[in-house]
Amino acid sequence: MEFKEEELKQVLSDVFNIPRDSVGENTSIDTVEMWDSLKHLELVLALEAQFNITFTHEETTEILNYNLIHMILEKHGIKFKENELDKIR
Amino acid sequence: MNLSLNKVTESLKRLDQDASYSSYVALSNAISNVGIEESPWPILKVAVIRNFTIEPLLPILKGEILRMGFFPQFYIGDYDTIINEVMSAESGLYQFNPDVIILAQWLEALAPRFTQRFASFSREEVNLETERILKTIKSQIENIRKYCAAPVLINNFPIPYPTVGILDTSEFGQMNIMHSLNKELSVRMKPFLNVFFVDYEALMANIGYTQGFDERYWHAGKSPFSRHALIPVAKEYIRFIRALKGKTHKCLILDCDNTLWGGIIGEDGFDNIKLGPEYPGSCYMAFQNEVLNLHDRGIILALCSKNNEEDVLEVLEKHPYTVIRKEHLVTWRINWDDKVQNIRAIVEELNIGMDSVVFVDDNAYEIGLVKHQIPEITAIQLPLEPSQIRGELLKQGFFDSLSFSQEDKRRTQMYREEARRKQMAVQASSVKEYLKELEIQVEISSPQNFHIPRIAQLTQKTNQFNLTTRRYTEDNIRQFAEDSNWDVWYLQLQDKISDMGIVGVIMVRYDGIMGEIDSFLLSCRALGRGIENAFLIHVINSTQARGIKILKGEYIPTVKNKQAAEFYKKHGFTNSKDSMKWELNLKEYAGKMPEWIKVNSQVRSAV
Repeated sequence: MEFKEEELKQVLSDVFNIPRDSVGENTSIDTVEMWDSLKHLELVLALEAQFNITFTHEETTEILNYNLIHMILEKHGIKFKENELDKIR
Repeated sequence: MNLSLNKVTESLKRLDQDASYSSYVALSNAISNVGIEESPWPILKVAVIRNFTIEPLLPILKGEILRMGFFPQFYIGDYDTIINEVMSAESGLYQFNPDVIILAQWLEALAPRFTQRFASFSREEVNLETERILKTIKSQIENIRKYCAAPVLINNFPIPYPTVGILDTSEFGQMNIMHSLNKELSVRMKPFLNVFFVDYEALMANIGYTQGFDERYWHAGKSPFSRHALIPVAKEYIRFIRALKGKTHKCLILDCDNTLWGGIIGEDGFDNIKLGPEYPGSCYMAFQNEVLNLHDRGIILALCSKNNEEDVLEVLEKHPYTVIRKEHLVTWRINWDDKVQNIRAIVEELNIGMDSVVFVDDNAYEIGLVKHQIPEITAIQLPLEPSQIRGELLKQGFFDSLSFSQEDKRRTQMYREEARRKQMAVQASSVKEYLKELEIQVEISSPQNFHIPRIAQLTQKTNQFNLTTRRYTEDNIRQFAEDSNWDVWYLQLQDKISDMGIVGVIMVRYDGIMGEIDSFLLSCRALGRGIENAFLIHVINSTQARGIKILKGEYIPTVKNKQAAEFYKKHGFTNSKDSMKWELNLKEYAGKMPEWIKVNSQVRSAV
């Protein structure tokens, strides 16, 4: 399944109440203040619902920053279209 | 406008377009940035006490409560601290003074052996353990009732995936015992006031236990619901909250083409529309049957369709397979005008609130237009696949009600009779003459047991002429009626045209020589006859006879009850410092009964 990168950013923006534009490589459990265990549970459920996948238990403990989330979603067959704007940059 | 409120409105709009879990989370975050004192919505306080991680449901609960028109304020008891919360008068639960309590329990946390080591039980041990579970829950409710009268939403238990094997359904099997536990739980809860069941067993069966239960997060975080279960489970709670807050719907306005039948009557013609015993006509018949069920439960039906009126009426009168007929409809607008205008006309004719209306259409454009122009309405777009339209109508529980009364069955007829009265009014030379011609008779009496459901329902549904808008359940009303410090009166209305049944309620609480009107309401279809005056005067006379010297009244404003704002003033009540509280010295009172109303009354009798 192919998704836009924005959709992933939107989920993190929704869960952690931060602007979508600020979500990126630097978004991690160490940089986001709200990111505690209950928010993490919310994140897992929101990602699963959005991309219609089910993480393994291991994976739920591994998705602690943006790149890892990206990687593990790709492992589940999720492909992200590159944003046209990002390419130009 | 304030920024954080803006964010809430924006997130609410997004949720309307994309009802994903992520949208709920975003809205819930936006809500938590708004202070209670900033909220333009009335506050709804929900306390949650639980023995499992219920947090993933909260964003959905909060979002749906806001959608309902209330600002959600939540108190979440700490994990697995139900006993501390219910036992102590000083607990956070009672300090919070909730409007609704959610008592959420998962059997595996309450009785692990029951779900995990069922095979280790002897018959006697099973009975002991069942009894222990039932007693635990009973004692929780008993404790809550010592300190707090708020409605409690409890749950029964989903049947776990069989652990013993093929004998699970046998008499002493785990499944069977679980079924009996759930059944017995509902029996034991029956004596308690205001306790309602959220049926986890049926919910999880519907979602599918293997799909709805999250083994992974149950073990890792004591959070039992998977992403598939979150929205259905939360919405089940919302159905109860909606009914408790009187936010139910009274009227269903239906499109015709591709809604009541398949195809377009104006193009396909009488003989070719799809309505009959074979697919896809059978889907439309099933849909019509469900609509008729709603009619039988007291939902009034109207049509709004872009068509030639005679084409549609011909189907309703002559089609061999139509279930919905002219007599089931209270009114219709079948013409080529725009639907927004037609819906407004229907609502005005029926004198109901726009937010009590559900509009159903198959056309995305019409739904979009109606939603945009009339934000208060609930608009449902039917799916393209005919076999799914019946389910779509029911799945949100828009027509839920906590009780069901005889009046419900006659509602369409009553609204029709009202139209006849309006006709008479046009012909009469003056209002007074008209009222005299109506030969109005009211009965004002204390309720018998069988009146209670209707009285409770009126408190839940009446919005316009309702001085305090306090919503009560049947259990509350029964309690008041039995209490010697309370008087409950219902008003039954009858005229030359018909018997309209119970349309009004006054409840007074006494304290020495003082009486206070706790509730005073009259159904909107009984207004305009001076009945509210007759009702108050009669009640004043009765309280005087009881020795009451001062009668207090209160007007609590809502967005809908403005017409009642001056009511107490008109009757000579005086205003104390607090502008909403009114007082009447009964010694000086001599109200005059409207001469066109004949009052019968029966003295208080034990319920």
